[in-house]
Amino acid sequence: MSVRHRVVITGLGAVTAVVTGGAEAVTRAIAAAIPADGERIDRTLAQLVDGAEARRLSRVSQLTLAAGRLALDDAGLASASAPMLGIVLGTELGDLRSTIAFADGFLSRGPAGLSPLLFPNTVMNTMAAATAIAVSARDLSLTLNAPTVAGELAVIRAAGAVAAGRAAALLAGGVDELDPTVGTVLEEAGGRFAARGEGSAFVVLESLDSARARGARILGEILGAASAALPASPYGVGRGVSARVVARALAQAAVEPAALRAVYGGENGDARRDAWESRVLRHAVPRAPAGPSLARQFGQTSALGPLKVVAAAGAPPALVHGLARGGSEVALVIDAARPR
Amino acid sequence: MEAKEVLDELKGILVSRLKFDPSRVADLAMDTPLPKGVDGAIGLDSLDFIELSIAIEERFAVPMEESEDLVPHFASLATLSRFIAERAPAT
Amino acid sequence: MRRVVVTGLGAVSPFGAGVKAFWTGIATGSCAIRPITLIETDGFRCQIAAEVPDGIAGSHRRSRADRLALTAAREALEDAGLSHDDRLETALIVGAVGGGMLEAETWHWRRRERAARGHASIGALRSILPSSHAETLGTRLRLGGPRETLVTACSSGAASLAVAAELIADGIVDVALAGGADALTRICFMGFNALKLLDPAPCRPFDRDRKGMSIGEGAAFLVLEEATRARARGVRSYAELAGAGMTTDAFHVTAPHPDGDGMARAMRAALARGGVAPSDVGYVNAHGTATLQNDRIEAGALRAVFGEGRVLVSSTKSMIGHTMAAAGSLEALATVLALAHGVVPPTAQHDHTDPDVPFDCVPRVARETAVGHAISNSFGFGGQNVTLLFRAGA
Repeated sequence: MSVRHRVVITGLGAVTAVVTGGAEAVTRAIAAAIPADGERIDRTLAQLVDGAEARRLSRVSQLTLAAGRLALDDAGLASASAPMLGIVLGTELGDLRSTIAFADGFLSRGPAGLSPLLFPNTVMNTMAAATAIAVSARDLSLTLNAPTVAGELAVIRAAGAVAAGRAAALLAGGVDELDPTVGTVLEEAGGRFAARGEGSAFVVLESLDSARARGARILGEILGAASAALPASPYGVGRGVSARVVARALAQAAVEPAALRAVYGGENGDARRDAWESRVLRHAVPRAPAGPSLARQFGQTSALGPLKVVAAAGAPPALVHGLARGGSEVALVIDAARPR
Repeated sequence: MEAKEVLDELKGILVSRLKFDPSRVADLAMDTPLPKGVDGAIGLDSLDFIELSIAIEERFAVPMEESEDLVPHFASLATLSRFIAERAPAT
Repeated sequence: MRRVVVTGLGAVSPFGAGVKAFWTGIATGSCAIRPITLIETDGFRCQIAAEVPDGIAGSHRRSRADRLALTAAREALEDAGLSHDDRLETALIVGAVGGGMLEAETWHWRRRERAARGHASIGALRSILPSSHAETLGTRLRLGGPRETLVTACSSGAASLAVAAELIADGIVDVALAGGADALTRICFMGFNALKLLDPAPCRPFDRDRKGMSIGEGAAFLVLEEATRARARGVRSYAELAGAGMTTDAFHVTAPHPDGDGMARAMRAALARGGVAPSDVGYVNAHGTATLQNDRIEAGALRAVFGEGRVLVSSTKSMIGHTMAAAGSLEALATVLALAHGVVPPTAQHDHTDPDVPFDCVPRVARETAVGHAISNSFGFGGQNVTLLFRAGA
């Protein structure tokens, strides 16, 4: 396959503590710097997922499914005549709550305390599987697990599949849930540096041709994307800086650093990681102005990837950037879908 | 075990293990079908039935033999209650 | 068009460390499924599994799964002879499910028993997540390319190879290290027991009298490389990864679609991407878990794609059990070795082929036969179907 399709964003769906809705609602909420409301998600879920469905879905799966549906609605793809659909989902913590509950069932009551209904949730692909079933997505379905940048990685993976003609339309996004038990576990592990939030968000990615053919509203285009790993110890903060990843994304996009109108980076309250990313960005795109930190507004979750992509589409051309402890770095260049 | 007692326990299992809403379960009629795909059923699938059989084994000490075709017994709350009442060890 | 070849192999399996031990084990039709030693099994109907033998290399401060992954990855990288500079641009795509769950369980069990906050082994908890293997391998082996962990249940190991091949075919990288790893966990063992999917005796894929799965553990990594580049640097190729198909059933969280439609679509997509007709395929390394459902449905899909009796079919899970995230990569390894050696590994514990399975399942004894193309199937929970197509003599 040497064909390269242009990859456009035709929808966004988000269920977060800041805002629930499609591209327009999310864009307004970001512009107005609306703060997070801790109870918004549970109120929203009750409206978006009906009782019969909710019975069989863990909370994080409900979050994922709800955001997926909103994204498809936003893209105008909710009908039966939609193209073959796939899902690429990023998550940092998956359904740890269900895993703990499953184990605790055994610890409390022995083998009879094991719940077959919970067991499938102990594998991280459960959210994507549940969403695929609900929206009938029978093309590829992938779940990526990574610290911090799982949502961005999912968008990059999905964009690659659309560009190469391997997929017609993909939901690409991320989800993470906050749970007190999981939080305790993370705290004891010393892993709780970032200011964490919870939520789910998906963009819908299609080829430009496919979007135009069905008269879809186009939010923007993913012109270029790259990922790689800087040297670091596992989950550690590295010392090195490199322009490699950003340069590759810019080169693929044929966009000069000086043309960037905004950079949407990480800045999630993990001070040492934030400092590292700042150094990398200063080295790679020294004069690009920083966009607002979505991690500060929404909290650190894998839902940030698609949110940053749509925010960037509002200030084209713009760079979406992420850097995780352990060194995984991501960069996406977003522009309006211009004639080429 | 009294039939009423069995029914109450079953309804409790539907709430605690199968995650049904208590209000939904309280109103269930004895002859409400259970399996998905049957008109008016509460819609249990294969995984629900495995969960249900483990719960029944634990609560009523009724062994579930894999070789036996248990599907007819799981048709409704009525058939299930009868099955349990017949097989539960005398206490 | 950029073609992808396999230039390095590494494995730790229930037959021990090393690709050689693995191939010897499966080529002789040996069964590594035995009574479990790693975890408590009281009160459970099935108490056997295919465990990796004692003596796994690596510090015990690392999770067992990390050690399996690191050992296999090291072997593959050395086999491919990748330089330090090569590694800086090598992508790392890992299939994982359990991660360091075994150690996290041990901690959680002790914590619950003492009903107090025990001393947390930071290493154990931090490595709980599937992404921990990529962190360990990436940083220890200094791999600087794109780094991803895929979790697609039982097809994770295969998905990692498919995605790595795509990265190379798309021109994003020239080299990738890809594969899967999983250690035995209490959650996996208890869960499959609770679902009544396990055979109390070693599993019998495609056999008329099969009663369910056996679980296992292990790791396998392959180095994938762009073909021209591999030739230029003079490294030998074991086989070509000629195509891959990834589809979703979108049917049920555990049960496969009864028509096997998703499975057939994955196989057809892999063949189409490789420009190969079904009649060109000589061997199918099946998902073959030995559950009543999977084997019947998979056989139906094979019949739809290839026609009755038109390919040899065997299941490596009969010998190493279902190794979860490692399965797709250990079985891809078996498929590559089958092509390289001209020997199709058998299905162990096979006495009477199920009448619903109209194929020669290579019962008990390996078959010497040169095969030009072979596929490896991995069909995960939640209907995550992956088929890999390999071509001999790259």
